[in-house]
Amino acid sequence: MQATIRGKNTPLSSPVSYGGEDRRSRTRRAGRRWLRILSRTVAVLLATAATAAAQPLVLDGGTIHAAAGEEPFAGRVVIDGGRIVAVGEAAEVPEGAVRLDVAGLHVYPGLCDALSRIGLVEIGAVAATVDTAEIGAYNPHLKAITAVHPASEVIPVTRETGITHAVVAPGTDRDGVVAGQASLLHLAGWTVEEMAIETSVAMVIAWPEIQTRSFDFATFSVRESPFSEAKEQAEEAQNELRDWFDAARQYQRAMAAGSDRVERDLKLEALARVLDGQLPVVIQANAKRDLEAAIAFAEEQDVRLILAGGRDAWKIKDQLAEKKIPVILGRTQSLPAEEDDPYDRPYRTAGELAAAGVTIAFGSSAGGGFGPGGPHSARTLPYEAAMAVAFGLPRDVALAALTRNPAEIFGRGDELGTIEAGKIANLIVTDGDPLELTTEVRHLIIDGKEVTTDNRHRALYEKYRARPGAER
Amino acid sequence: MNETFAQRRRGAAGGWCWMLPVAALWLAAPAVGERPVPPPFYAIRDARVVTGTGEILDRATVVLADGLITAVGTDVPIPADAWVIDGRGLTVYPGLFDALTDLGLTQEEDGEGQRGRGGPPGFGGDQPPIRGPEDRPGTQPWVSAADRLSTADRRLESWREAGFTTAVTAPGGAFFAGQAAVVDLGGDDPRSMVVASPVAQRISLDGPGGFRTFPGSLMGRLSYLKQVFSDARHEERVQALYQASPAGRERPVYDRALGPIRQALSRGLPFLLPAHLGREIDRMLAIAGEYDLRPILYGGQGAYARVAALAERRVPVLVSLEWPEAEKDRDPEADTPFRELYHRRLAAVTPQRLHAAGVPFAFYSGGLSSPSQIFDGVRRAIEEGLPAGAALAALTIAPARIFGVDDRLGSVEPGKIANLVLATAEPWAEDVEIKAVFVDGYRYAERTPAEPAEPPAADVSGTWKLTLETPRGGREMTAELTMSKDGKVSGELRGERGSQTIEKGRMSGDRLRFKTTFSMGTRSREVSYNLTVEGDELSGTVSAGPMAMEVRGERSGEAPAAAADGGEKAAPAVPVDELERAMAIVQGPVRDGDSFAIVNARVYTVSGETLDGGGVIVEDGKIAAVGTDLDIPDGLEVIDAGGGSLIPGIIDAHSHIAIEGGVNEGSLAVTSMVTVDDVIDPDDVAIYRALAGGVTTINALHGSANPIGGGNAVLKLRWGKDAAGLRFDGAPPGIKFALGENPKRSRGPSLPGVPQRYPATRMGVMDVIRQAFTEAREYRKTWRDYERAVAAGEKPLPPRRDFKLERLVEILDGKRLVHAHCYRADEILQLLRLAEEQGFRIATLQHVLEGYKVADEIAAHGAGASTFSDWWGYKVEAYDAIPHNAALMTERGVVVSINSDSGEEMRHLNQEAGKAMKWGGLSELEALKLVTLNPARQLGIADRVGSIEVGKDADLVLYDGPPLALGSVVQKTFVDGVLYFDREADRRRQATIEEIEQKLLGEAGNNDRAEGEAAPTAHHASSHASTLLRHEPRYSCREEH
Repeated sequence: MQATIRGKNTPLSSPVSYGGEDRRSRTRRAGRRWLRILSRTVAVLLATAATAAAQPLVLDGGTIHAAAGEEPFAGRVVIDGGRIVAVGEAAEVPEGAVRLDVAGLHVYPGLCDALSRIGLVEIGAVAATVDTAEIGAYNPHLKAITAVHPASEVIPVTRETGITHAVVAPGTDRDGVVAGQASLLHLAGWTVEEMAIETSVAMVIAWPEIQTRSFDFATFSVRESPFSEAKEQAEEAQNELRDWFDAARQYQRAMAAGSDRVERDLKLEALARVLDGQLPVVIQANAKRDLEAAIAFAEEQDVRLILAGGRDAWKIKDQLAEKKIPVILGRTQSLPAEEDDPYDRPYRTAGELAAAGVTIAFGSSAGGGFGPGGPHSARTLPYEAAMAVAFGLPRDVALAALTRNPAEIFGRGDELGTIEAGKIANLIVTDGDPLELTTEVRHLIIDGKEVTTDNRHRALYEKYRARPGAER
Repeated sequence: MNETFAQRRRGAAGGWCWMLPVAALWLAAPAVGERPVPPPFYAIRDARVVTGTGEILDRATVVLADGLITAVGTDVPIPADAWVIDGRGLTVYPGLFDALTDLGLTQEEDGEGQRGRGGPPGFGGDQPPIRGPEDRPGTQPWVSAADRLSTADRRLESWREAGFTTAVTAPGGAFFAGQAAVVDLGGDDPRSMVVASPVAQRISLDGPGGFRTFPGSLMGRLSYLKQVFSDARHEERVQALYQASPAGRERPVYDRALGPIRQALSRGLPFLLPAHLGREIDRMLAIAGEYDLRPILYGGQGAYARVAALAERRVPVLVSLEWPEAEKDRDPEADTPFRELYHRRLAAVTPQRLHAAGVPFAFYSGGLSSPSQIFDGVRRAIEEGLPAGAALAALTIAPARIFGVDDRLGSVEPGKIANLVLATAEPWAEDVEIKAVFVDGYRYAERTPAEPAEPPAADVSGTWKLTLETPRGGREMTAELTMSKDGKVSGELRGERGSQTIEKGRMSGDRLRFKTTFSMGTRSREVSYNLTVEGDELSGTVSAGPMAMEVRGERSGEAPAAAADGGEKAAPAVPVDELERAMAIVQGPVRDGDSFAIVNARVYTVSGETLDGGGVIVEDGKIAAVGTDLDIPDGLEVIDAGGGSLIPGIIDAHSHIAIEGGVNEGSLAVTSMVTVDDVIDPDDVAIYRALAGGVTTINALHGSANPIGGGNAVLKLRWGKDAAGLRFDGAPPGIKFALGENPKRSRGPSLPGVPQRYPATRMGVMDVIRQAFTEAREYRKTWRDYERAVAAGEKPLPPRRDFKLERLVEILDGKRLVHAHCYRADEILQLLRLAEEQGFRIATLQHVLEGYKVADEIAAHGAGASTFSDWWGYKVEAYDAIPHNAALMTERGVVVSINSDSGEEMRHLNQEAGKAMKWGGLSELEALKLVTLNPARQLGIADRVGSIEVGKDADLVLYDGPPLALGSVVQKTFVDGVLYFDREADRRRQATIEEIEQKLLGEAGNNDRAEGEAAPTAHHASSHASTLLRHEPRYSCREEH
């Protein structure tokens, strides 16, 4: 694996060889691209120099989109010690600061993948590279960060479209319920310790749904089971989940009372953090009845709820708005659940939720994450949000759903999601609206440091683009 | 004798589970015939006689002697020796004829015919694997129903009691299941039952095979049928030639399977072909036409959609009386598609339509387990407008005609077999009393008249938990009961051993009686429940033959709210014509008409300039003019594009939508004998969704489970047309190849005892392809030698047509395009070289995710490349996939397209193409070509589609913004100038669906698709699930296992 983070130990050279002259002169756009690559390299060199000395960094001359929905303004962003220290035209440039000229460019808060498997999956089909789901239905004590691979090639690929941080969540096996704890991570860092913003931001639960259809891989066909049977199974599993919460409550009480008879139990201890209110629960559910059951469960257990998936959330949008339950939506680009559903049903969901006042975010694995894409398609998150814009989601809400909302949903609204003094410096510098396909992210600032936009894909592209013409 | 009942039971047996072995023994015992002896002569006098030929005689006499009807008339002398039956107030009907059953057939194993029922050891895995059609899976045409009759089938008696005197009985469970016979349902000797045999060869799609055994898909099964018919025709010719002069000729191989089929073909014996829905009827009629079969369709419930075609060809149809109903115990929140509701409503209209159009048809019991269900079905057809006389014909003379026995059966006429019903009313009437049934002149005991009924004392509707008191403890069952006002009870009984339909249920006073049928194999016995109801509790006995035990129960749930109407599904109040109008909106063009002009658009001609403020004139579905200053003829409709973008229809070069019954025939390494073209599903809603994404043409491909897969189908998405109407006529045929992880099955589950399929490596994949073409060359040579010999005036034996090799020869001859699924650069190169070695060209490399590494080689070979925009990392061979692939290959001179391989992704292929602008820097026009002109070139249809040029098909898409922008939405999609999608009309389509579903399903509604709170759906207990619902996973090569 090649190193993917360009930090102080990275040699000051361009990451890939650009090949022979003959290749570059072959197309009419080559020159333009060469310039672009060159300017990027210069920027990297500058940034590298800056971070090497741990100097303050100033993004100067760009249009600042400090918060989704607010008017952009011209000015500078001053970054020091990993934090934004000043924003605005009058912001003072500290002595010794490295100035990054972003004139003509736009500065946005870094985008967030609000429920992701980035770092847990390298190649979907190769079990050896997949660390999403542990054996057993109840693993509240597991934390995603433990298995995140900081050198995963998926990370820099995802960054390229402006995603600077992600809530990485464990998943469950087929019968799993409590998957473990999600971690909020920078998408850069030599180690997971450098990546960590918060090792634990939520307890992730896959709601035991009533499933009458199951896919049988042995015969490659869908099996139908009677509804009453499926319902009974689901209810049994839901009751088991209640039992776990009850046990955790009991355990917590006993421990608080200083019991020396009750043995320490790491699983119950982890669940107790939810009961304490230290952690919200993320419950993945899609069908209306499951969403409603999850809400009822959270109310009954008096825990803070974040819904994920939410395919049918539009059916209960008023309830969600009234109860202030946020929803992390899965892929906008998905098929309608039922044959007669409007063709654009999934495209409209985000817009309808937003119009009703529901706080939404987008997560590349929020819908359950089954399928070939998984974290590899996380880079298209802004494009999926843009699809929702085409079908009724206001553009600024879409941007909020990728920036401010996830920060607030996970209780980090004071640290992430907007460009404000005091916040963690996760920023992107673009040549346009990050929700437009043709927009390029020119600079990535993560944890106050400039990080390369290069990645495995670009490296392969440049390598093979430089392949001399094959003779035959 | 002071033993308690329970002690006696314990002494006698010892538990509920004794019931099974004991019942089995008792089922095995032959039924004791109730035939009265001696056979007398009968004269039924003063009866009304419905002769079944259209005549109705009042106060007539029917004389029976020696098993035949000897006289019928109002003026017939009564022989002195006849047993006179007073027919006053009664009617004589021809005995009823059930046109397709398995009555009387025992389940004898036939090793040969069962071939292909493979599996792991213990599951039939001792059978040799099927290597292809030549191993004849599920083929037993020699099996004759007449030879397998047994009187042990208790259904014979219950059918007869209800007035059925005759049935066609046929073997099943195999593709060539065997020979059907017309049998009379009387007698205690099977030999005396047979009236005619064989009367037909039964074809079924319900044979062996599966994921790992040929045939594992619908297209595999259809291709198998064709190959066998072709082989039979071939053998006919070869044997004739060989027998004429055997000397010096190679002896044709004996094939047990072909003899009976050849006989059937040469004697003009009909073939029973399975087909319910329109698309299934089309397929079967195509096969019948191709191989010159005399078809009789069975199933037939969707024939309402093909009445004209059936009438024109006078194809007889056997209509199953098991009308489609809601699935039982299904998710109350799950949506029932409009298409399904429509079919449920229209199915029972079929008989009336067939009758009106003069299509010969007969009724058959299908999967129904009791005559009362058959008669429910008949009444339903009559309610839908079938005249009673036509219903009677469909149960008497019509099946007799269809099976060629109307010279001896089917009507009350002198000389015919004495099969009669003497009844108070039509045999299907709810309150009928059958006074006598005559079979072959024998009189059978009259049906016990129903007990005098008191009005029900209570409504027993609801869910009841029943406990059978067995010596080994209680056994739980659940009864779902529905009672009508007059005390009729219907519903379902569920227990550990599955569910049974409640029959003959009646609540009289506080007494509840009903029966269920307990089946083992083809044998069955009635189980009688005799209960007393008190409020929410009941108790009584359950008896099966000599055995009885106590049962008690309590009501655990309310009556289904909407089922108060005798348990019969209330006929929905939506007129059929309203439904049909709705269907035309739901599945059809927005409007007819294929001539118009579009103005005020940014026209992306793709092949030429992009015109601002431009437009097109479309005449008769073709582009007649393109420009900025159009001379629009007077009266031509003008569509103002409002400044939007007009592009050529999007072409998806890799799709798996609109394919029925499996996308893969993955059982064998080479399955070029199958083709997607055989299994086009014109009713797949994915077609509409694709149109909504601007797609007008697709390359519907076989999956990637094997190195050489099946044929393709290039389709135009003319939503609402049948399979033939979707075909892109003139598009060169293609075939799927697949390399790499999928065909070598590196990720498939390995089953114990099942040998792995060759190949398991990339070496093997190439080897399979090379071997196949080596074989194909031999095959081509054989045919060329033959043709040369014929030309030279010799009389050689013609070679056998082998559909597998025939398609490969088409590739060698350049007549079939190869679309090869591939990933890694090395395997791409290997395939190109192999094709060059074999002398053909790869038309398209599909996926080709590492194509950018060997772009020059691809360009030099002349293959097109059809790739994904940005999928990667889902498997090892996709780890080097880069989103710049399309652009890089384009730069190197490859004709590149972006495809979907997904029913979802195809809905925004414009955006996927746009990604090549971001990654790799293609221009907007170059990117647009990736989903228009380039795939058209790859598929060999660029002379018709792919750009906006005069003379080309008017396949057009109108966007409200730049075509590749994320924010642009398709407003209109035209195919051949016909508007198939319109964003405004889509809202009306949706409203139509909502409205009809509301009406059909009542206030409860279908689901809460419309905004607002959901109410639980009233769902009805039913006898079976509809055949229409298919829950097939959406296929993608990416997810291949």
